Amino acid sequence: MKAVGARLPRYDGVGHATGRTVYVDDVRVNRMLHTKALRSPHHHAAIKRLDTSRAEQMPGVAAIVTHTDVPLLTYGHLSALGIPADEPLLASEDVRYKGQPIAVVAATDTDAAQAAVDAIDIEFEELPALFDMRKSFDDDAPQIHHWGTIYPHFEGEMNVRQIRKGNVEQAFEQADRIISGVYRPAAIEQMPLETQVGLAVPEPDGRMTIYSCTQALYFSMGVVAAHLQLPLNKLKFVGGTVGGGFGGKVDTATETLCALLAQKSGRPVKWRWTREEEFLCSSTRAPWHMEIIDGVTSDGWILGRKMLTLHDAGGYARFSPYGVTKHSFHHTGAYTIPNLHFDGYVCFTNRTPTSAMRGYGVTSVSFAVETHMSRIATELGVDPYELRLKNANRIGDTSPNGIRYMDPSTVDVLHAIADATDAELAAPYSDATREMREGEWLPEHLVGQLSHSEDH
Amino acid sequence: MNIVVNGNNRTVESPPLTPLLHVLREELDVLGPKAGCENGGCGACTVLIDGAPRRSCLTAVGSVPDAEVTTVEGLGAPESMSDVQQAFVHYCAAQCGFCTPGMIIAATAYLEGGGSADRTEISEALAGHVCRCTGYLKILDAVAAARDGNFDLSTTAESPHTTVLT
Amino acid sequence: MAIHTGRGIASIEYPTGMNQNGDPSQAWIKVKPDGRIDVFSGTSDIGNGSKTIQSQIVADTIGVPYDWVTYDNSNTDSSPVCTGTFASRATFVAGKAVLKAAQRVRERILEVAGQEMEISPEDLEIDDGEVMAKGAPTKKLNVGDVAAAATWGHGELITGTGAQLNPYAAISDPTTGEVDGVPHAAISYAACAAEVEVNDETGEIRVVNLTQAYDVGKAINPALVEGQIEGGAIMGLGLGVLEDSYPYYPSAEHRGGDFGSYYNPSSADLPELHNIIIENPSADGPYGAKGIGEMSNNAQPAAIATAVYDAIGVWVTELPITPERVLKAIDARDAGGGPRREGKHVIFDEELSINTVGTGKTWTAGV
Repeated sequence: MKAVGARLPRYDGVGHATGRTVYVDDVRVNRMLHTKALRSPHHHAAIKRLDTSRAEQMPGVAAIVTHTDVPLLTYGHLSALGIPADEPLLASEDVRYKGQPIAVVAATDTDAAQAAVDAIDIEFEELPALFDMRKSFDDDAPQIHHWGTIYPHFEGEMNVRQIRKGNVEQAFEQADRIISGVYRPAAIEQMPLETQVGLAVPEPDGRMTIYSCTQALYFSMGVVAAHLQLPLNKLKFVGGTVGGGFGGKVDTATETLCALLAQKSGRPVKWRWTREEEFLCSSTRAPWHMEIIDGVTSDGWILGRKMLTLHDAGGYARFSPYGVTKHSFHHTGAYTIPNLHFDGYVCFTNRTPTSAMRGYGVTSVSFAVETHMSRIATELGVDPYELRLKNANRIGDTSPNGIRYMDPSTVDVLHAIADATDAELAAPYSDATREMREGEWLPEHLVGQLSHSEDH
Repeated sequence: MNIVVNGNNRTVESPPLTPLLHVLREELDVLGPKAGCENGGCGACTVLIDGAPRRSCLTAVGSVPDAEVTTVEGLGAPESMSDVQQAFVHYCAAQCGFCTPGMIIAATAYLEGGGSADRTEISEALAGHVCRCTGYLKILDAVAAARDGNFDLSTTAESPHTTVLT
Repeated sequence: MAIHTGRGIASIEYPTGMNQNGDPSQAWIKVKPDGRIDVFSGTSDIGNGSKTIQSQIVADTIGVPYDWVTYDNSNTDSSPVCTGTFASRATFVAGKAVLKAAQRVRERILEVAGQEMEISPEDLEIDDGEVMAKGAPTKKLNVGDVAAAATWGHGELITGTGAQLNPYAAISDPTTGEVDGVPHAAISYAACAAEVEVNDETGEIRVVNLTQAYDVGKAINPALVEGQIEGGAIMGLGLGVLEDSYPYYPSAEHRGGDFGSYYNPSSADLPELHNIIIENPSADGPYGAKGIGEMSNNAQPAAIATAVYDAIGVWVTELPITPERVLKAIDARDAGGGPRREGKHVIFDEELSINTVGTGKTWTAGV
């Protein structure tokens, strides 16, 4: 029997069904310490004083780590993609979101660790907070980030991710209707059943073994190696069996601080976030703000699109510029629109920093574009299938940044759901194919965008 | 005090107000029940106490002296899986697997209590158990079929919800 | 009070692999003396099933039974680089790395078998754990015997490595967004039809049916594909009508810190699901596969929002579409609200626009 294509049972199915699968929280080592964090109670504040001396004397406390203990405090997780570092591993001068970690304590049990956290002396000066990214451009917007309220480092020094294609002005002049709408999906939780968890074990040969729930072992190992300034042969990441991720476990949330506490105490250190920390302190899916203005013909061709996207990064950049760039590449959805004017911004607010979640960068645009398509269909009195089939990506069409589509299936998937729900399509829509545009499928405004190249 | 865990007599040293989940995992090294929230909200720590499904995170160990506690490990080992466990494998009803120990305990209690194969009734019985991966459908199908037993574990069940177009 | 039924559709696309590529995955494979196969890959299995999928790819590529394959992704000492399990890349990008490693192992097995059988490797094939002469299947040697010969006779270890790296596509013109290469490993496509019931007195929405079609290229394991589609459907439903980390926004207080105060989907929210799997093989993917794990929660919110409009004639474009938002929209509709129409302009949602809420930026049709 061939394996590929077969409905084989999961490789790990029996382990899951019998409770034998070993997740990070199931790893047992001797003399393990437990971790609690001092987290910001404020959305935005300056740290005026931080003193752990009293906490260090508490019973059961083995190590406390603050910003002064981190060899490289601020490391850009996506510095390789040109996103500069901005987020300290532990807050030093200010806190930019409620729940931001300031110090971590390793102690013999979680109660002792929490008691020591409570004994840390800290003083804040509260600062004005911003939660609405539509106000990020306002003159009186609170300055949250040392870079300002808008991320300024696209391609080095731009504060906007742009797409420009064709001539939107001309498209809007030719359009029979210009339809605008605003789309605002909320922040939501990745919410894996396994909360963030890590365990760092100092080995006698000077290495550190880190048990991790990361979605990306080498990526997270790189993060720890950078903060600790260690070569990769000093670290061993153990993981690969994860109790759900959905993007949130691309963050390296516990591993680096466990490693620092383990270094300082010389003992294994575990940190399992409570469900409350997972909900309130871990990154969320980003809230987005999208404004779409489409110029359309009365029979349902989309001639041009002008789109503004604001992405709420929360207090730090994390992966947000990557997310907005990906978003920009897909802002036409599954359709071919020859005239485009897109501006995307990463806005800083005092929400919990946002990060990857399933569909990163595109879930937002799918909601905005498809709801907008439905509105256009309604406004024009055009069948929603026909509107989509008309404008659907086809072989030889080009993407917003000029890449030829090789095997688009928009027509196929639309036909499939139409068949399955008994939606009747009239000719020629019932006979549409993915093949290159010609005849009635190739109106004048799409002629210039076609690509005949075979190598994309 | 003593409790019986999966048929074995165990002595418990933890104070009586310690959550049973903590006793099982941290004192007795019974690791099937998962600490998904420790607040009664997710169901991943569910165990059978004298046959009834209970959230072990909300159960003080002192409130169940001499109780018979059954965790997912106690329902069956890899070589001797119960019908419900086999159904979860055969229907691919576990993805990340973290909610699975509680789901299987709840499903076992539901079926042993005479629960039907009706999807709505199963869904109500499991509604307090959070799964973020599966969308629940394969879990409901697995529970509905579990009583039939005799699963071929070299393959998985065809889905009545799927059409394949090639 | 009345229950209104509505339908809506959405059609989406999503890239496989990291945007702009540049995300390597590597794997290596060794063969035990009895022919059993050990795969080392750095891909985390987060429930997506990459342990299963990659083992299936290896089994067929070498030509051995699936249960001969052991898969180890447990640590960075033994496993090589995998950029990670995200960006819908585990089947396609990491899957290609194990596929390439398996191809090399297969070549080595054929070379050793060729020496043992005194037949040229080009004239041999492997199926179900047996190396056979093409056209003369009775001339055969078990892969276990080949591995034993390599180990005890030839003094060799049969291994293979594989790496997949789609080259990074840089933005060559930041003003237009043009790129200097293909910025994705593949693009996948899907469509969703939603049916909802809306209670016009309470504002409650019940999603009754989600019918969804996904072009997966090739379903390496249809059961796991269904798992992605079904799990994604419910996550998309949550995004559409239930979930919000800031339920009192614009206040950032009173966030839900436990399952009792964060509104995530339960089994009671599950609608009827109909999965349609389409297999148009991709040119580059392992066995023609594409990634669909992430896009599976992208289409539902718009299909549901459209179905709500179809049911009660209001557009709710802030997610989640809560009962409160539905009732407010009904009130606005009844008060004669709707888009502003001016010449050929139709302007929806002005109250939500940055033009209304902010003072520092405007966004209008004027260029």
